[in-house]
Amino acid sequence: MPGIDIAIRQILIVNAILFLLFFIIDIAFFRKKIKRPVYRGRLINVLITIGILTMFVASIKVFTWPLLLQIFLLNTVDLSILILATTGVVLIFKTSVTTNFAQGMMATFGAFFATTVVIRLMAKYSGSQTLYLFIGLFSGVLVSFLLGLIIDVGIIRRGRHVSSVGKQMITMGLVMVLMGAIPVIFGSNPIALPAFSIDVEIFNIGEHILVIPIQNLYAIVITLVVLVVLFTALRFTKWGLGVRATASSEMVASMMGVNTRVITAMSWAIAGGLGAIAAFFYASSGAQVQVASMVGVQVNAFMAAVLGSFSSFGGPIVGALLINLFSSIAPFYDGTWQVVIVYGIILLIVLAKPLGLFGKKTAKKV
Amino acid sequence: MDRVMRGINRFLREFKAIVKHPYFGYVFFGMMFLILLLLRNQGMVTISVINTAVIVMIYTVISLGFSLLLGFGGLASLGTAGFVGFGSFLMGYLHGVKDYSLGVTLLLSLCVALAIGLIVGFISLRIEGMYLAIITLGLGEILRQFFISYDIFTGGFSGRSFREFTIFGINFVSGDGRYFNMVYIIVVIMFVLAMIATINIIKSPTGRALLAMKNSDSAAQSMGISLIKYRLLAFILSTVFALLGGMLYIMHTKYSYAPQWNLSFSLEILAAVIVGGAQSIFGIAIGVFLIFGLKISVLNYIPFFQENPALIVIFNGALIILVVMFYPGGLIRLLQTLKYIVVKRFGQLKQKWRRYRYGEDD
Repeated sequence: MPGIDIAIRQILIVNAILFLLFFIIDIAFFRKKIKRPVYRGRLINVLITIGILTMFVASIKVFTWPLLLQIFLLNTVDLSILILATTGVVLIFKTSVTTNFAQGMMATFGAFFATTVVIRLMAKYSGSQTLYLFIGLFSGVLVSFLLGLIIDVGIIRRGRHVSSVGKQMITMGLVMVLMGAIPVIFGSNPIALPAFSIDVEIFNIGEHILVIPIQNLYAIVITLVVLVVLFTALRFTKWGLGVRATASSEMVASMMGVNTRVITAMSWAIAGGLGAIAAFFYASSGAQVQVASMVGVQVNAFMAAVLGSFSSFGGPIVGALLINLFSSIAPFYDGTWQVVIVYGIILLIVLAKPLGLFGKKTAKKV
Repeated sequence: MDRVMRGINRFLREFKAIVKHPYFGYVFFGMMFLILLLLRNQGMVTISVINTAVIVMIYTVISLGFSLLLGFGGLASLGTAGFVGFGSFLMGYLHGVKDYSLGVTLLLSLCVALAIGLIVGFISLRIEGMYLAIITLGLGEILRQFFISYDIFTGGFSGRSFREFTIFGINFVSGDGRYFNMVYIIVVIMFVLAMIATINIIKSPTGRALLAMKNSDSAAQSMGISLIKYRLLAFILSTVFALLGGMLYIMHTKYSYAPQWNLSFSLEILAAVIVGGAQSIFGIAIGVFLIFGLKISVLNYIPFFQENPALIVIFNGALIILVVMFYPGGLIRLLQTLKYIVVKRFGQLKQKWRRYRYGEDD
């Protein structure tokens, strides 16, 4: 399809020109003023909105909307994985102020456990596979939950005085420990996990046919349920209030009577659980469970969190959506340079909005 | 007799002054490594020791550049692997394939380092803290993808191998002992030069400005320190060190493979700097040895670890966690504590001896 090539190149050029225009205006005009004008922020927002909207419109024009919808539906498993991983990363960043490089390893640990449980069950009994998969998923989540809890209680809590880069190093040490421990516990071969279902659902919209694998439906439903429960808890329970208080300032929160230890421990545990669900779906959708299988997802999760801003819970999910969209459309333009295109777009957006798309500027004491 | 004594005293005084000079330690270490090479050529030291020494020296060069960013500039960057890989491929392509001379290669690499440093530096002006770390991580991924896809330059998935180099008109071909010795000597020289350059940067106004910037941007700016200038400088210096390290790397291993320059390499460099002590040059060398050298030089020869190779990774990880938790300032703090204890004990003993010799004072 040669039309795609030219059109997407045009969009990219339009976007680049818009951003360049903004940077020139910013450096030549706004920075000269002593007090930064208010409409500067609005201009960025308008430019980014225009950029992303033109991208959407042009993509719809090139692909036609049923095809775009089809691409989106086929990528929903990746989207669910990315959203779950991102939420885990953000939850830990909020309470422990560090980027958790062990997020992927904690998740893989749970997925290995789940896979082992499923395979044992299927070898022993001859029942419904779906039931066993659910049992496996639940046990995997439980193991990762406990792992997160142990990591926080045993290590992170004792290292609270360490700087955030130091904490990063602790999580990196954890990556190495888990990387060594997983082959010892579960054997060194990658294990295959059966999918929930390999069937596809076909349904018609008007004259167009849309195909969606059942596996994707499972992923969407489970992710939605988990997210709704999590966000409800964050909004309405005492734990959620505690998380929000700890995120804004741990010391003040603890002075106000919030038990920040419990809050942090629960955040690590829940992040582990979310990661385990993500790794489970990653493994059961064709890939095998491997030690390093979640590293790529984890990097994308960090990028999504930066794109959507760490300061809110909803922002990173939008960031994950955008990254998923970019990376599902980019291969049609150029398969080999997919990562460069996606990360380049993110870099441009973050340069224009250093705090992420939905970031709020917090006043800092000098 | 008196004149002789006076001469000896003067000599001792001057010797003390030389020993106290900061360069002495670095040159001394370089000499020790050269003696190691001599011992190797006499067959008294195993090849693994020499390999460890080379790896430690090369990675120390990279880590020193990184410590200028993190320990002094306070800027966390996770794109180191991409820069190191860039250096190795530049050497492999320009000198190995295109047959440019070593000087031209170095000059071109310097230009590349300048360009990359400027780009990342300008990014760092807008983005700060963890966000900067993650964005540079993205940059590293972009570079890695670039290495994998642009196979004229890097050899793609088959990697870029490096067989011979010419220095001062003399050709060195891999496979014989001369090549290995020459590379070793170059690495030692670069290692010593990098250490001397680092201490000079740290002790100069530039280093002070970087340190001020790390502690507080606003305070530094109000003291007249240009944020743009010093951030760009920090990134350029760090990139130059990283590219240099990459060039030494491909000279030593004779091979560079695009997918190897991934996130975990950047994290290992970061870990080496943090574990050793971000603001101490010898601390960084210790950290590099702990992260990269310990496995290939010591642990591989302990029977317990030979039976369970997985435990090596666990041991390394646990070591990082323990050091960061209990010595947040790095392992160099541990050494300083030990030194303090020894000096204190020695002072006590000295006082005891004086009391015994001259009696109690009133």
